[in-house]
Amino acid sequence: MQNMRETSSNMPKRILIDTDPGIDDSLAILLALASPELSLEGLSIVHGNCSLDQATHNAVSILELAGARHIPVAKGCELPLVQPSLLAPETHGNTGLGYAKLPEPQTRPIRQHGSDFLIERIMSNPGEITLVAIGPLTNVALAIRQEPRIVNALKELIIMGGAIRHEGNTTALAEFNTYVDPHAAYIVYHAGIPTTLVSLDVSYQCVLTRPDVDRLLQIDSPLTRFIADTTRFYMEFHDEYQGVEGCVINDPLALALTFVPGLCNYQYLPVDVDIFSSVSLGKTFADFYNYNKKPANMQVALGVRARDFIELFLERMERLAKKTAKVS
Amino acid sequence: MTKRIIIDTDPGVDDALTFLLALASPEIQLEALTTTQGNVTLDKATRNALSILELCRSIHIPVAVGSMYPLVQPLRASAYVHGESGIGNSQLPAPQTRPVMAHAVDFLIEKILAEPHEISIFPIGPLTNIAIAIRKEPKFVKAVRELVIMGGAIQENGNTTPQAEFNIFVDPHAAHIVFHSGIPITLIPLDVTHKCLLRQEHVERLLKIPSPISRFIRDAMEVYLQASYEKGFQGSALHDPLTLATIIAPELLTLKEYYVDVDISGGVSMGKTFADIFNVMKKPTNMKVAMNVRGDEFVELFLQRMETLSRSITDYTVPHA
Repeated sequence: MQNMRETSSNMPKRILIDTDPGIDDSLAILLALASPELSLEGLSIVHGNCSLDQATHNAVSILELAGARHIPVAKGCELPLVQPSLLAPETHGNTGLGYAKLPEPQTRPIRQHGSDFLIERIMSNPGEITLVAIGPLTNVALAIRQEPRIVNALKELIIMGGAIRHEGNTTALAEFNTYVDPHAAYIVYHAGIPTTLVSLDVSYQCVLTRPDVDRLLQIDSPLTRFIADTTRFYMEFHDEYQGVEGCVINDPLALALTFVPGLCNYQYLPVDVDIFSSVSLGKTFADFYNYNKKPANMQVALGVRARDFIELFLERMERLAKKTAKVS
Repeated sequence: MTKRIIIDTDPGVDDALTFLLALASPEIQLEALTTTQGNVTLDKATRNALSILELCRSIHIPVAVGSMYPLVQPLRASAYVHGESGIGNSQLPAPQTRPVMAHAVDFLIEKILAEPHEISIFPIGPLTNIAIAIRKEPKFVKAVRELVIMGGAIQENGNTTPQAEFNIFVDPHAAHIVFHSGIPITLIPLDVTHKCLLRQEHVERLLKIPSPISRFIRDAMEVYLQASYEKGFQGSALHDPLTLATIIAPELLTLKEYYVDVDISGGVSMGKTFADIFNVMKKPTNMKVAMNVRGDEFVELFLQRMETLSRSITDYTVPHA
């Protein structure tokens, strides 16, 4: 609760989300829109869970669903830096949003490239912007290389990615976002930005269950129906591939830490990603015993009050569902 | 038909000689220079590019500033072979002109997409700018006419590690992106550049024409020649200028089509450029590689062009408006 107070200043925290929606991405976007502690200033879109075009389409549709079509969406990179393209239709469905079907969006993405959008927003508001990166890090890496000054102008970077002690969800060792573009992750990890890593170690404790979704469905709203349809596919995937009952909502956890950092506990660690070998390509690892004698480059979330987080997520979704139901 | 080119560059002594050769060649229309780190830091590369254009009274040619770091690898201390400033002992005045506002990556994307298939790019430094342009704007690949790249060592020794050539070693990931992009590529590796040596006697021949150009070549070459002697060469390789032979004297080059790749796996061969000469990998070819050159004839052509340029630019030539 102390942390809640810490961040409950009058000024909402200004955030950008770099994202590949994606089922849990779309829930993270909704959580941002439902949270008065935050001012969501834009989305930059990247390949990942689905193609860039599909992800952009999904992002615009989700903003419209939540009555937030004023928020700019900028299309970024359609391919990883060095590795070949890898999408995740088995996890997120062919459209990236599981069984959900949203109306054809009326708004369009802005013309600016996603990485240019990040550069411009960050450089024109130095020390103000928190970036929540919940897809492969291609856009962020490109922005760092094209405008190295964003490293010092960013207030904070929260990354959903990696598996430190937890098993991988894409290879035995590697987590999806990091595996898809390990070279981009390497660039971002070593850039010198104040970074928090939200890895599978904590996100896999945050399981949204069927009863949780049933609770949301007590509010009759396009929003709750969307959440039910999109997560039904996600739950089937988790059941079939990983034996998990319910679904893991990785990206909303990373988003929640922008305004309730106390949900997790952290350790400052030297973290790196393997970009050279074959079996451990894309493996994110932390040097807990400091064998390599390198300074810590990020704080890693290693514990989470999972049920408190799920409860927060549900309350926010109920609030947003009531609000949008009234508007429509 | 003059050929329209942009040179992506990290000047660098032989980079500077490439600008001179392009400006001295009626077959070539030099549209712009885009800079990158490599032989020197980005600041010095940009300053040198502007200064050399001013020396050649060619300030109408735009310069766009590009990448300060390689894509993934750490920044490497610049090669001493080009001297502290990057252009040997030459003391060019501080440039009066300035680079354009656009980042080199965006400049390249805009220029290439505005006139598809019209402009070739000659990357003669690390390939960072080109790689970022490819990833940022996938339409770039189909719109570039051709890349003529100075880089790699196929059957020749490396000049930076035992196996790897400098430009590719500095940013092997960028080279990997560019090699596999699908853009038509001609590669000019050390295999041929080491056969095009500019020797001290050549510099003295040029000095018979009094000109800021011949004096610049003398001053720029001093350190570069010394570094070449230390490696056992009789003169300095015209690495980067040789790329322009593809336009002004293609008959001097023997080109072979190969599947070419670069090792990015981080071991002793990091940055090694290799060609599948016996096609054991059964992959389609992705570039033309210059495997032989009539080196003495290229050097003679280079000298003649430098003599013409030196005659046309004297201490009294006014800058191009």
